[in-house]
Amino acid sequence: MTEKVGEHVMTMSTLETQVASQARPPDAWRHLSVSETSRVAVLIALLIAGQAITPSFLSLANIHVILLAVAAIGIMAYGMTLVVITGEIDLSIAGIAILSCIAGGLMIPTGSAALVIGTTLLTGLAIGLINGILVAALGIPSLITTLGMLGISRALANIFSGGQALYPEPIAAYLWLGRGDLVGIPLPVVLLVVLGAAAIALTKYSIFGRALYATGGNVKAAALSGINVVGVRAVVFAISGACAALAGMLESARLSYINPAGFEGMELSVLAVTVLGGASLSGGSGSITGTVVAALIIGIVNNLLNQLGVSIYLQQVVTAAVILAVVMPGMWQRGIAK
Amino acid sequence: MTVLEFSTPRVAPFLLGLLRDPIIWLILLIFAVGTLTSEYYFTALNIENLMRSIAVIGLLSLGMTVVLLTGRIDLSVAALMIFSVIVGVVVMTEIGPMLGSRWLVRGNTYAGPIVPVILIALATGIAVGALNGIGVAYFKVASFIMTLVSLTALRGFNYVLTNGHPYYLKAPFYSWIGDSKMVGIPISFVIFLLVLLALMGFIHGTMRGGRFYAIGGNEKAALYAGIKTQRYVVLAYAISGLCAAIAGIIFTARLKSVDAPLAAGYELTAIAIAVIGGSALAGGVGSPWRTLLGSVAFAAGLNLLAIWGVGTWYQNLAIGVVLIISVGLSQMSRKKTQA
Repeated sequence: MTEKVGEHVMTMSTLETQVASQARPPDAWRHLSVSETSRVAVLIALLIAGQAITPSFLSLANIHVILLAVAAIGIMAYGMTLVVITGEIDLSIAGIAILSCIAGGLMIPTGSAALVIGTTLLTGLAIGLINGILVAALGIPSLITTLGMLGISRALANIFSGGQALYPEPIAAYLWLGRGDLVGIPLPVVLLVVLGAAAIALTKYSIFGRALYATGGNVKAAALSGINVVGVRAVVFAISGACAALAGMLESARLSYINPAGFEGMELSVLAVTVLGGASLSGGSGSITGTVVAALIIGIVNNLLNQLGVSIYLQQVVTAAVILAVVMPGMWQRGIAK
Repeated sequence: MTVLEFSTPRVAPFLLGLLRDPIIWLILLIFAVGTLTSEYYFTALNIENLMRSIAVIGLLSLGMTVVLLTGRIDLSVAALMIFSVIVGVVVMTEIGPMLGSRWLVRGNTYAGPIVPVILIALATGIAVGALNGIGVAYFKVASFIMTLVSLTALRGFNYVLTNGHPYYLKAPFYSWIGDSKMVGIPISFVIFLLVLLALMGFIHGTMRGGRFYAIGGNEKAALYAGIKTQRYVVLAYAISGLCAAIAGIIFTARLKSVDAPLAAGYELTAIAIAVIGGSALAGGVGSPWRTLLGSVAFAAGLNLLAIWGVGTWYQNLAIGVVLIISVGLSQMSRKKTQA
């Protein structure tokens, strides 16, 4: 998919970084790509600019609005970041989100919250796992697999629901997921923080995390050093599927409305957050902390555009421009982009 | 005499090779099943419909084939086909008042000259395609990111430019493109065949065209051999953009209107067709002629589903499944030939 001659090599495995630094001369431009510090600087600048534009910007109410708006995208981006670290991509998240919510929604008549929520999450996990098996075991490129799965899951969502929206009104626990709060903090925001902490622990401090970066850095080397690369990639796609289902459920609960045509184009916003967060699409690099900061940046930009009355369609164009601005610095690297 | 000597040995292997091609048998099978299960399948009207749908998706996949040849992908084609027509209409409605005439009459109907709209649409297609190519070749943005970005931006622009309302296009020439026939063949299909022939002539008949294969086969080798690979990548995307614009014109000429959300997801169809036709995602393999076969098989299959009364959702489902299976199968067959 992406073959760069002078690709980023920022794997966690120290052996690999040593080899890479010996093999390649230090590349001055490499540090110009969006680094952790510049991301944080952009974030702070945006906060100051926001406060200057609208006095109520840093009020508790608006911060809640921003975080709530970011929750779904952020949770999806955790999954996407893990997938991108292994050098793959998941374009099916919006489809998975909607199909899982519809599948869960079909359980509403039973009146059981556990059944509705469980079905939603398990459906997401299952579709993600199918993605993972197709990509890792059968060797079908993830771009095609997940693009196809996006179409399939959207079609199935329409078929199962008959194109009609479902209303989770009778399930109180379901609605609480999107609207409830824990000591004053909205539940989606709590989940965003808790899952973020879990994802950081997983990527930074676990054996699985090491395997993740190693697989993305060099699949062959990882396989030869005893890492189950097929398993790692299958699990990563399953996690992404579950994240998508959860994020979809939070949104549906917040709106108390499960829309079979929802989440249109969500994959690009999530991808934008992931790439803005420093994950390289050639695999082997990226971090959850970067993704969190990037999600906040996108959330604040959208919040400001909303306050300035910019239409949702122009916001789409702005998102596209932001992601392009972030990936452009690659032009300074030598090599070929595909 | 020389002609005879030259042509016979070339035609025979070509026909034999054709018979060994599974896609030919797939097409024949679809036609046979269609004729056996429905009395409407093999009628003049249905074949005409089939040609019309082949023309639109075939054009998109022809452009996609050229981009795939270089080992890249173009996800923006569906959004671009609508965008280029919208730009044509919007630019002309802006120019109209400057010339002292109002071309956008009641009901959002465009009543001005149609030929400039077509020309602007074609130019827009080429320009946006070239921009994609420049982003990929010179700014080194991964092709699917670059074109996914254009896809999103163009869809956004489509809504902004139309304010979410469809434009109606009522010009005799436009209706002629959409509805008329030439010796029983729809004009749209004739246009598709002309583009196909031109593309085949360029890719197989000229040295420049052959370089797409060189780039897709081994880009570094092509670069070191002195081919200006970046220019050819831009050219490939410009061709794809032009094909998308032509497809957009044919598509909207049939509908006599253009609306922002039209043709959503057609990029999937275009990729699926190119791959069914034998194009490799890794580049270097594929040809316009085989893409024609792919689009006939694909359109005939969808047409059969429609005749059987299978709904659009199930058709979309089928497209996704066919995309994954066809790429999977081509992947496996390639592994086998390598082993």
